[in-house]
Amino acid sequence: MEFLLEIFTEEMPSSHIKAGLAQLKERLGRTLQVSRIDCPLLETFGTCRRLVVVGDFGSRQKDSEVVVVGPPRDVAFAADGSPTPAARGFAKSQNVSLESLEVLKTPKGEYVGFKRTSHGQATGEILSEALPGIISSLSFPKMMRWGNVNFRFSRPVRNILALWDGRVLPFSIHGIASNDRVRGHKLRSPQSFRVKSIREYQAGLKRNKVILSAEDRKRLILGQIRRRLGALKAQIFPDDALLEKLAYDVEFPYVFRGDFPREYLRLPLEVLSAAMREGQSLFSVVRESRQLPLFLGVADTLNDPKRLIRRGNERVLKARLEDARFFWEQDLKMPLAQRAGELKHVVFQEKLGSYEDKRVRLRLMAAYFCDRLDENKLKKEAVQAADLCKVDLLTEMVREFPGLQGIVGGLYAKEEGYPPAVCQAVYEHYRPVGFEDSLPSSLAGALLSLSDKIDSIVGAVGIGIRVTGSSDSFGLRRQANGVCRIILARKLNLALAPLLERAVSAYGDILKRPKHEIVEDVRILVEQRLRFIYESQGYRYDLVGAVLGAGFDNIYHSHLRLKALDALKKRRHFEPFILMARRVNNILRDSPSYPVNEDLLADQEEKDLWSTLAIVSDHALPLIRAGDFAEAQNLIFRLQPSLNAFFDKVLVMAEDKALRRNRLGLLARIRQLLLLIADWSQIVIEGERKETPA
Amino acid sequence: MSLQNLVMSLQRYWADQGCYLAQPYDLEVGAGTMTPDTFFRVLDRRPWRVAYVQPSRRPADGRYGENPHRVQKHYQYQVIVKPSPPDIQALYIDSLTSLGIDLAVHDLRFDEDDWESPTIGAWGVGWQVVLDGLEITQFTYFQQAGGIELFPIPVEITYGLERLEMFLEEKDNLYDLDWSADVSYRELRLREEKEFSEYNFNQADIENLRQSFALAEGEATRLIDKGLLLPAYDMCLKCSHLFNLLDARGAISVTERVKTIGRIRAMVNLIARKYCDREGVS
Repeated sequence: MEFLLEIFTEEMPSSHIKAGLAQLKERLGRTLQVSRIDCPLLETFGTCRRLVVVGDFGSRQKDSEVVVVGPPRDVAFAADGSPTPAARGFAKSQNVSLESLEVLKTPKGEYVGFKRTSHGQATGEILSEALPGIISSLSFPKMMRWGNVNFRFSRPVRNILALWDGRVLPFSIHGIASNDRVRGHKLRSPQSFRVKSIREYQAGLKRNKVILSAEDRKRLILGQIRRRLGALKAQIFPDDALLEKLAYDVEFPYVFRGDFPREYLRLPLEVLSAAMREGQSLFSVVRESRQLPLFLGVADTLNDPKRLIRRGNERVLKARLEDARFFWEQDLKMPLAQRAGELKHVVFQEKLGSYEDKRVRLRLMAAYFCDRLDENKLKKEAVQAADLCKVDLLTEMVREFPGLQGIVGGLYAKEEGYPPAVCQAVYEHYRPVGFEDSLPSSLAGALLSLSDKIDSIVGAVGIGIRVTGSSDSFGLRRQANGVCRIILARKLNLALAPLLERAVSAYGDILKRPKHEIVEDVRILVEQRLRFIYESQGYRYDLVGAVLGAGFDNIYHSHLRLKALDALKKRRHFEPFILMARRVNNILRDSPSYPVNEDLLADQEEKDLWSTLAIVSDHALPLIRAGDFAEAQNLIFRLQPSLNAFFDKVLVMAEDKALRRNRLGLLARIRQLLLLIADWSQIVIEGERKETPA
Repeated sequence: MSLQNLVMSLQRYWADQGCYLAQPYDLEVGAGTMTPDTFFRVLDRRPWRVAYVQPSRRPADGRYGENPHRVQKHYQYQVIVKPSPPDIQALYIDSLTSLGIDLAVHDLRFDEDDWESPTIGAWGVGWQVVLDGLEITQFTYFQQAGGIELFPIPVEITYGLERLEMFLEEKDNLYDLDWSADVSYRELRLREEKEFSEYNFNQADIENLRQSFALAEGEATRLIDKGLLLPAYDMCLKCSHLFNLLDARGAISVTERVKTIGRIRAMVNLIARKYCDREGVS
């Protein structure tokens, strides 16, 4: 039967809408499941003023069998099988006859009791009871109260529509009683109307200028953009975040075009787009990557017959562009190098000092990266970029458009004639900003970004800032994610630990926590990010665990090992390989790595294994160092025949202690070699279940 | 419609909604929110409806009269309604209609913009109201003031009078606005903007400002002890304005900024707490 819920509010931010809908779906779904109610359909929709759930649920709960447990068997029945007063009392209190009692086997022993069929409650009653709790439990990134209702929500709730099977589903939350009324578009069709079904609701909204689905609104916006720009052969400067925001901000999108004076085209595209995006939410328009003197906006309306919306936006934009030009010209009056002197007055983090301190550390880190990667030619430029990259924090332009930090510095550096590599590095050293953001395109930019992010992470961890659950005020996850992505994409062959130690030393004695603790905490953070990255690339969780379990100090190599292991998965000797490793592990357990004395190798099979191991190691180790893990795997697998023969013929746990230790030592060498590829014990073979860790 | 007619229309409209029409407060403030008619009255539990024009000073926004939009003093029209009524958005929209704006042909949006004022320990949730791309109003449900969790919740509607008037007159430069049929904004305000920009950025004596700040701060502390909360609050407002002047002179470093704002806030929070104790608000 049909279910419809609309929570009608004042304008919510798009992130709140998504959070609210996800929780509604999850909580309602769980309630239905727990209540044993069929749920063939449960969908959500949202606009800035509505959280909507549409469903098709079973009419009542399924019947269920309830087991009522009474006294233990030996208390309820005497030795001769006759019921005791305890049994009688229990039967009476439960209103059942003595005959219906039966013996129940429970984990605690045998008890007396009976089974009763519980008839399902009507779904409507359950929903009426559950919805007030579900709605008032929704949580949003920021909550508020209004009027004199003691109820927290994203924005004030103004109405709740709830229908079940064509009728109002009655409940109330803090004085708001559910009903069957809907309101149309805020300005174009504000009257309210009543509905009896989902179909009437959808038709009514359409008639009253509300497009319910965000996907539909986005499609409409994109379609209108194409129509406006088709003849010009132009595109909007891509901005998914803006498109997403607009798709939720309006209930009925109308795309309009506006122009601005050509003289502002002297400003760079980045500045123009920021001036359009911030405040007015306008798209800038480009043709072949060059800005055209026009923009597109999305209004919440049907049309703009008198062009008033267009003209109003043009006026406001012109003023903003005038401001931007003023900032651009003012800023360029003082060279970056001269402005850099002011960095000591800008706080990076209260306990971590100023941006001047950070600038000094970034120089060291950038130089360190170039040394480690043998990029000597790049060093001068990378260090120069490190010197300049934070200066734009002092410019009017970045104060006005904080999202342009770095970008503006790069543009100013270019205006001042710095080498292109320096400008590019400054320009892109914040990238990737978000989890999906693009990476720096130049090597100097990548190294500067790594220097900056590692410096921030190490500093924050060093003064005890932590990531917990949803709280990550310093953006540590995001920055660690950026570090991993850059290293992986650039295939940087680097050891992490010395790098982190260098970053810690760059702080001098500012960080109060011991170096090894900081390094360890950052490593844990990096491990979590790598796991996240690899799993979202579709790698099996157990392979990811096995690869990370064998170490990730060389982040790039961890990826190569994962790829090799993933390729192995499809091959015939995948399972034999794992079984081989397991067999070695099982016999070794926690045995220490005893030294191997060649003279003590007695049996032919162990002598063979020892010499095979020597050959395999000699060839595999250089491959591993070079990152050719697929070939290394193949080589290591060649141990299998000798190893099988060894296990078949040689008694590892020999009576003789020296002999036993020598054999364990031999196996430990093999384990060491295997661990250079993966922690094989974490891999699950199909058909087996992974043991859940205690 | 001239600027003074705009003010008169808003006065009429909000008086009809049961607001008491206050006169502008006679101290320099950064926003209408800071005046006692808002600050103290949102703290207690009694219903409150007030509307007033408040000249608002932001010394660092001065542009020597050369920027068509930025000024170091502008005029706000401030409305407080407590508790916020369920139809408050509709009332606000009606106020625009009553100014003759035909919303059928314009784009009016409530754009997420949460507001906070660290100096008076206040924050709220709401929007900037944007009309055809122009921000004309800040619309906020106060959640906290003076560090005190508020209840019932007041709504604050702050119209930017110059912005709204620019929209009504379809003008690009605020100095071109008509204050009345005969007097322009330029005639009334240009000289003031030029002279105050020069004062704010170049002439205000930093040492004197620091001393004045210390004096006002001392007075505030003394008056709080005496339980003279309104005079003490006035002293905090003076501190806030002196701080803004020092800031415009570039005399405040980033760390000093945070600390100084924190000191003013601590006094304001103390005043708010004592006020609530006295009013029996727990």
